[in-house]
Amino acid sequence: MVAAAPWADELEERLGRRIDSMHLLPGGASKEAWAVESGGERLLVRRALGGVIHEATLSLEHEFQVLQAAVEAGVKVPQPVAYLGELGGREAFAMEFVEGETIGRRIVREPPPELETQLADELAKIHSIPAERLPFLRSADVVERFEHELDSVGEPHPALEYGLWWLREHRPPPLPDVVSHGDFRLGNVVVSQRGLESVLDWEFAHLSDPREDVAWPIVRAWRFGADDRRLGGIGEVGPYLERYEELTGRSISEAELDWWEVLGNVKWGTGCLTQCRRHLTGQDRSVEYAVLGRMAAEMEYELLDLIEHA
Amino acid sequence: MPDRPTALELLEAVTEFVSTEVLPAASDHRQRFRTLVALNALGIAYRELAGSHDLVLSDEEIGEMARRIRAGDVRDDDHARLKEHVAAKLRISNPAYLERYK
Repeated sequence: MVAAAPWADELEERLGRRIDSMHLLPGGASKEAWAVESGGERLLVRRALGGVIHEATLSLEHEFQVLQAAVEAGVKVPQPVAYLGELGGREAFAMEFVEGETIGRRIVREPPPELETQLADELAKIHSIPAERLPFLRSADVVERFEHELDSVGEPHPALEYGLWWLREHRPPPLPDVVSHGDFRLGNVVVSQRGLESVLDWEFAHLSDPREDVAWPIVRAWRFGADDRRLGGIGEVGPYLERYEELTGRSISEAELDWWEVLGNVKWGTGCLTQCRRHLTGQDRSVEYAVLGRMAAEMEYELLDLIEHA
Repeated sequence: MPDRPTALELLEAVTEFVSTEVLPAASDHRQRFRTLVALNALGIAYRELAGSHDLVLSDEEIGEMARRIRAGDVRDDDHARLKEHVAAKLRISNPAYLERYK
């Protein structure tokens, strides 16, 4: 066996199978992802890092349960294999390794046809997961949630405050909470030439107004440079919303998403700042986290621009 | 003033080394990605030190404005001043980003 991680023997013991090789995959801002070869099968081991992006991040044990509930609801997800407890002092679970593309910049270059409606298909199924199935999921006022997170950063950001103020002033009447993915966008879905293969990264699952998820992939940061295609840099919002309504009965207009798009920019802008703190506080030293502190300005500019044109 | 190379010249030297020697030798995607991120970080530091950037708002004004807006006291010119301030930050961190709004 290749001892690629100091906890590889623990992994073999928990899985009850021999590991032929393993390697760390790129990316993964808050979790490690290891590709593990075992007896001709390829698994993905998802393991915690030292910190979290948002305060309400699920434990890997709960994330594993969300994955199981998603399978039951027919959502395309990697098959959950086993919750592994702690490996080398950090929680982990194993799931099926799904082949395909996750890099947003590559997907927007040549998006498969019908990806818009396929995103709506999966989101509709996610929003049909019964909340009783996952009693640990929490609901919170979205605006207060990000006020609180911004306070935790300990650095004043008047542009984000301006966004939060505007959101308070223009709050839409709420829709009843659903089980939401919490990070549903390009980058967290596996795409092949056939289209959407799998929905990944369930660590931010929570209960919320369905429009929080619906609007998240339209946030400019998740268009990966293809700014003119509002839905994730891959297409128009219209067919996506139509399909979502067809499946859920929830009629959401494109204009209605504007408020949630501003919220999305506050959310990711704040997320950049909190991730940067993981570096600055010494919790997880990394140049990747460090530069995120300077990236928040992009979301600040975008939200000011959106508000100007709202 | 210490001897040359200046701080900017040192940043340039490191940037050249990383882009011509480290980046081509990056053995996998992860290493390549992190090397590109490191180059980006060097670029930010270089632009910040090389230019004279008028950030529009002073540190005191930033703190005062954040507290005031949180308290719900928003003034007519806040939006315009903030947009200018954020644009100035972007000219350091990612000048190409502003092109996307033209």
